Amino acid sequence: MGGTRALAALILAISISGCSDEARPITVGSKNFLEQILLGEIAAQHLEHRLGQRVERKLNLGGTLLIHKAIVNGDIDLYPEYSGTSATVILNLPPFNNADDLSVQVRREYEARFHLRWFDPLGFNNTFAMVIRKADADRLGVRSLQDAERHPFGWVLGMGYEFQQRLDGLPNLLRTYALPLRGTPKVMDLGLLYRALEQGDVSMVAANSTDGLLLSLDVTVLEDNRNCFPRYDAAFVARNQTIAREPRLAAALQDLSGKFSDDTMRRLNHQVLVLHGSVEDVANEFLRTSGLLKEP
Amino acid sequence: MPNSLLHELVTLTTQHFFLVGVSMLFAAIVAIPLGIILSWRSGWRDVALGVVNVVQTIPSLALFGFLIPIPILGGIGAHTAIIALVLYALLPMLHNTVTGILNVDAGVRDSATALGMTTGERMWQVELPLAAPTILAGVRIATVTTIGTATIAAAIGAGGLGVFIFRGLAAVDSMLLLAGAIPAALMAIAADRGLEWVERALSRH
Repeated sequence: MGGTRALAALILAISISGCSDEARPITVGSKNFLEQILLGEIAAQHLEHRLGQRVERKLNLGGTLLIHKAIVNGDIDLYPEYSGTSATVILNLPPFNNADDLSVQVRREYEARFHLRWFDPLGFNNTFAMVIRKADADRLGVRSLQDAERHPFGWVLGMGYEFQQRLDGLPNLLRTYALPLRGTPKVMDLGLLYRALEQGDVSMVAANSTDGLLLSLDVTVLEDNRNCFPRYDAAFVARNQTIAREPRLAAALQDLSGKFSDDTMRRLNHQVLVLHGSVEDVANEFLRTSGLLKEP
Repeated sequence: MPNSLLHELVTLTTQHFFLVGVSMLFAAIVAIPLGIILSWRSGWRDVALGVVNVVQTIPSLALFGFLIPIPILGGIGAHTAIIALVLYALLPMLHNTVTGILNVDAGVRDSATALGMTTGERMWQVELPLAAPTILAGVRIATVTTIGTATIAAAIGAGGLGVFIFRGLAAVDSMLLLAGAIPAALMAIAADRGLEWVERALSRH
């Protein structure tokens, strides 16, 4: 008898939790760095406006593997991800897949393996970017990594540990471009890189192409004319189950595709990081200027 | 463990030892004489201890951020890391030196004066020997914490066991994390035991 009652209680509990899941607001997630938090907030405000319902935010969630687990488990319904990151970290595809259809391939795999929908790219590519001081760029006439192959004294490289360790980072760079180097590369914390560059301790650093600081410092981003770095096109990923429950979600997320460029994302990062705007205000301003949010 | 990793472990452990050793030497050269002076000057004491207290609260990356633009002293590399480590080691050393000297029994101090000792003689022959175990305890605390703190030297290109830790974090590789953390922990335990032994030898006098 007791066993049956316990079983009944269990079934009841499961059905209740199932019901509450239906009523749960859509939850937007993001990883633990500024660009992700901004994209999460933009999506949250946009969805609140388009769907007319409250949207929960679980921003600042940690790394790629953790947030992937969260969306597969249904703790979050959508989050922004980068094609190159998913390909290497989640799908274990070779890192040098430079094909333009990487996003298409990632979309197919996500659908088949995880029942997740990979939306059309937002329009910016946050890949590695090799950066030098503008004074050096002008003095030496260097605009691209190919130009950088001729430097009379050699470059002093500065980079974070991740760039040094990743196959698509330093080894890849040195294989593609015959850069003359002076001394061994200086490996340090990412946050100190730009200071070391400004100060002259290093002459070329490995940064990210959408860093907000690129706008306020006197630096030049070298063009990667041999396409050595993989593409990291940002796009939203959402659970198929959530889309089935709220079909308007797909069209609403599609609104954001193609609304960004590298420069737009750099500016948004810059507005929060350097000009100290709040994430909410900067996200709101972006939605207004791109015509997605109309009322005052 | 692959051979290249073992080789690197030896190099990084040596660098770590060097960073800690040099920092402790400089910190002791600054903190012990300064502590002696401060034990005479009660007015300066609160100011100086206040300053080293504040330094202790500055996060290491922020401290590096301040140090990089300073000419000669700053920049990236071992010297900047050593400056930061010395600054962090000042608090326990200075604090214990001052406390050790001030805690010398007033009666003992008075008898030394009554014996006709000058202030200098009293300091060298009476106060410092009696304060030595406390001062050494300060050096011991500073050394053990610095062995841990020195892992941040890797954030500024200065090497040490922190390289494994930073690299392990970037590559999500627990073995690399442990390759940095375990030798650092062993080094801290060894330093603690060693200095404890010296401390006991000194207090036997």
